[in-house]
Amino acid sequence: MSQTSNRSDTEKGDGYFLRAEGISKIYSDGTVALRDATVELRPGEIVGLLGENGAGKTTLTKILSGLLPPTRGRVVSPRGQVKFASPREALDFGIGMVHQHFALVGTFTAVENVALSHERPFVPLTLSATRERLEGLMAESGLKVPLDVPVEKLAVGEQQRVEILKVLSQNVNLLILDEPTSVLTPLEVDELFKLLRRLRDEGKAIVLITHKLKEVGSITDRVIVLRKGAVVGDVQMAEVTKEELAQLMVGKEIGTRAAQAVELSTDAIPVPISRHKEEAKRGSGVLHVENLSVAGDTKSKAVDGLTFDVFGGEIFGIAGVEGNGQTELVEALTGLRPAMEGTATIHEKNILGLDPRQIYKLGVAHIPEDRWVLGLVLPFTLAENAILGVHRWEEFRGPLSILRWGKINAHVRALMERFEIQATGPSAPAKSLSGGNQQKLIVGRELAKDPAIVIASQPTRGLDVGAAQYIRDTLVEMRDRGRAILLVSADLDEVLALSDRVAIMYEGKFMAVARPEELDRQKVGMLMGGVGVKG
Amino acid sequence: MTTTDVRPRGRWVRGVHRTLTGLHPALESVLAAVVGLLVGAVLMYIWGYDPWRAYWALLRGAFGGDYEIASSIARGVPLIFTALTFSICLRAGMFNIGAEGQMYIGAAAAVCVAYFQLPAGLHLFVGILFAAVAGAVWSLGPALLKLTRGVSEVISTIMFNWISRFLVFYLVAFVLVDPRQAQRTVRIPVSARFPILVQGTDLSYAVFMAVAFALLVYVVLWHTAVGYEVRAAGLTPTAARYGGISIKRTMLLSFALGGVAAGLAGAATTMGLPPTFAIISGLPELMNLGFDGMAVAMVGRNHPIGILFAALFFGGLNAGGRVMQFYGSNPVPLEMVRVVMGAIVLAMAIPELIRLFPALAEAGRGLARTIARRKPATEEGA
Repeated sequence: MSQTSNRSDTEKGDGYFLRAEGISKIYSDGTVALRDATVELRPGEIVGLLGENGAGKTTLTKILSGLLPPTRGRVVSPRGQVKFASPREALDFGIGMVHQHFALVGTFTAVENVALSHERPFVPLTLSATRERLEGLMAESGLKVPLDVPVEKLAVGEQQRVEILKVLSQNVNLLILDEPTSVLTPLEVDELFKLLRRLRDEGKAIVLITHKLKEVGSITDRVIVLRKGAVVGDVQMAEVTKEELAQLMVGKEIGTRAAQAVELSTDAIPVPISRHKEEAKRGSGVLHVENLSVAGDTKSKAVDGLTFDVFGGEIFGIAGVEGNGQTELVEALTGLRPAMEGTATIHEKNILGLDPRQIYKLGVAHIPEDRWVLGLVLPFTLAENAILGVHRWEEFRGPLSILRWGKINAHVRALMERFEIQATGPSAPAKSLSGGNQQKLIVGRELAKDPAIVIASQPTRGLDVGAAQYIRDTLVEMRDRGRAILLVSADLDEVLALSDRVAIMYEGKFMAVARPEELDRQKVGMLMGGVGVKG
Repeated sequence: MTTTDVRPRGRWVRGVHRTLTGLHPALESVLAAVVGLLVGAVLMYIWGYDPWRAYWALLRGAFGGDYEIASSIARGVPLIFTALTFSICLRAGMFNIGAEGQMYIGAAAAVCVAYFQLPAGLHLFVGILFAAVAGAVWSLGPALLKLTRGVSEVISTIMFNWISRFLVFYLVAFVLVDPRQAQRTVRIPVSARFPILVQGTDLSYAVFMAVAFALLVYVVLWHTAVGYEVRAAGLTPTAARYGGISIKRTMLLSFALGGVAAGLAGAATTMGLPPTFAIISGLPELMNLGFDGMAVAMVGRNHPIGILFAALFFGGLNAGGRVMQFYGSNPVPLEMVRVVMGAIVLAMAIPELIRLFPALAEAGRGLARTIARRKPATEEGA
């Protein structure tokens, strides 16, 4: 019943399907994800939603599709205000979302997966009806997938088509796709775009979340640019150049960190990122990487033939939108993921194929990207976490491999003091600490190894301003003491401010390696979006 | 959510919720034991038994005197070992259901010492060694299957239990059988027996081995680098790998150590169990000790020290239950004791369930909404 009424509404309505008015979203940890964003979605239009990591793209679409309630603001349709308590209600209203990670049951066929999405408690399931409906849809949309093969046997592009069919089978009028091309081959991208155009011509509203400028140019009719939670641009594609978009996306200048993840407390004054005063005194080469390729989880080559050096006394930053191979690169360098080809050495000793502990012995400290998955054993105490990776060192281990808890506790107390870790004591469980203190614990543990190189991956993600600042200062201090730092961060301001050299990574390759002074934000925005810059 | 805040009943419910979820683990176990005994009492009442008299008999039978206490401890000894098997592997992140089978093999290996002569102390030591090694070797099957082929240890240990069960049936009936007493194996010679601790009971010096082994496990898990690695790998395998810990190694180690514990349970129930000092055909002395050990491990919160107390409690239930079934004019069958044990194990899940309570309530409200919304739609369709 809902779909028929929806359709007539959108056809005779005020020219829009859905409008989000003055939406703000503040997460419970105080992160402001959206600030007073107003967007309007109209039938028969492909809208690109453009922005960096953390700009609020995902939050906005989650609010539109009923996964999250907004803190302030409302979502209205021509029939009045709408409120979704669940994605199911949003779907009933005609809003469907295709997530980056597919929600498919691998051992089910396409028919079974689609039937599952229609399943309601206490309603008999009819596979034959679903099949008929799917065949009709496939003929109508030109979207072809094998119906009777378990979806785990399908190519990623085909799985995505199953996902799209699943959403279309619910008669949606608004289709939201989250980074749909990130897992597809170029040919599959073309097919997808053809389909999206056809759906648009049928009068559906389509929202495409992306960070790739090229795609925005080739498919969208209108672009909404988000930066730090605010809508900074809402323009017809025909009236704008890629350069202007890039500038909108990354902002004008390297400024303060005023907007991103500001604490809500009143005394949170934005702190400018520390810019080291001294010029880098570059030492000898520490890390040498040559022609390194690494396989990803879904992509065949997440890292594609990288060659670079990191020297002592410098911070080598890798900027770029997440998912362009940074994670795989770091994992390969720290022994967590095998490399396909190439070499990587530290002080001319090979590190590929070694296990993490052997690599740490060569003087590597690793501040991992995800502190809950990799960096900490959350139920463990502070003391137990403080020796993760160094627990077999002589100073902590007595005869018969007995751990010297006395020495370890003293070590932890020293770390707590030096790195300003707020905790009740060495026996407090790590999960009782705040995010900032957890990260300081990791940073402290890693720097206490007195490493030759620190590989820091998203070291300040999700931290409040003070903790982030502290960790940045610590990294700069390590650099000033002649250590090599490899900094991977999706926070462009951070990378540009801290690094002595910056590489911009896109689809497993470096688009450019330059000193930060040689880059302006527009150029970086273009490079991050995969558009090469000449000259 | 906001609606429940204003209801006074909501505040009361939340108060109970907070109290129960904040309980110390040891108190949770005590609470579970009380709930289990209450459930047993209700069932006894329903079936026309007198729960007070039954429990009085049970208590007297378990802890009413020196003989009773000794019997309770003796019944707890093998449970300490099999509970440790389960707990060590759980700490390493695996469900090892194989204590039962590993114990059978350990017991069979211990009986083998009857075929050679050694000086008294050494003979006993060699027997213990036999049982420990046999248990460890038997546990390597599932461990290697998991490490090399990714076979779930739950499935493989259960299968290995059956294999070892019938293998030991066979060994008892045809290989280790006593030519003069066909219903049991050859008896373990005096030189390889654990001395009896309390004369006239079946409590032997094996209890010291059990307590010592539990303390050893505690020291290994919490005070050595190896144990640290095992626990880290069990809690967060990804972080353990980041910390340079080989998960395969910790899995293999914990399985082997668990196998040693189960093997020692076999030794305790043969070399340390008067008066037969042998395996009786059909394995009545061994049957289910491995599975009961899992319940003991849960009530003992998978901690070696907690397991010591939990094993004493379960040993008391077993010993007291035997008395209970002969007590009074309308005796309660032994099966009721197993009902109580089952209820205790289920009750162990209560705090966890209460922790889930907000999520369950939310799911319930969601279901109610779905049904409420569907009603007009079906009417329309009809």
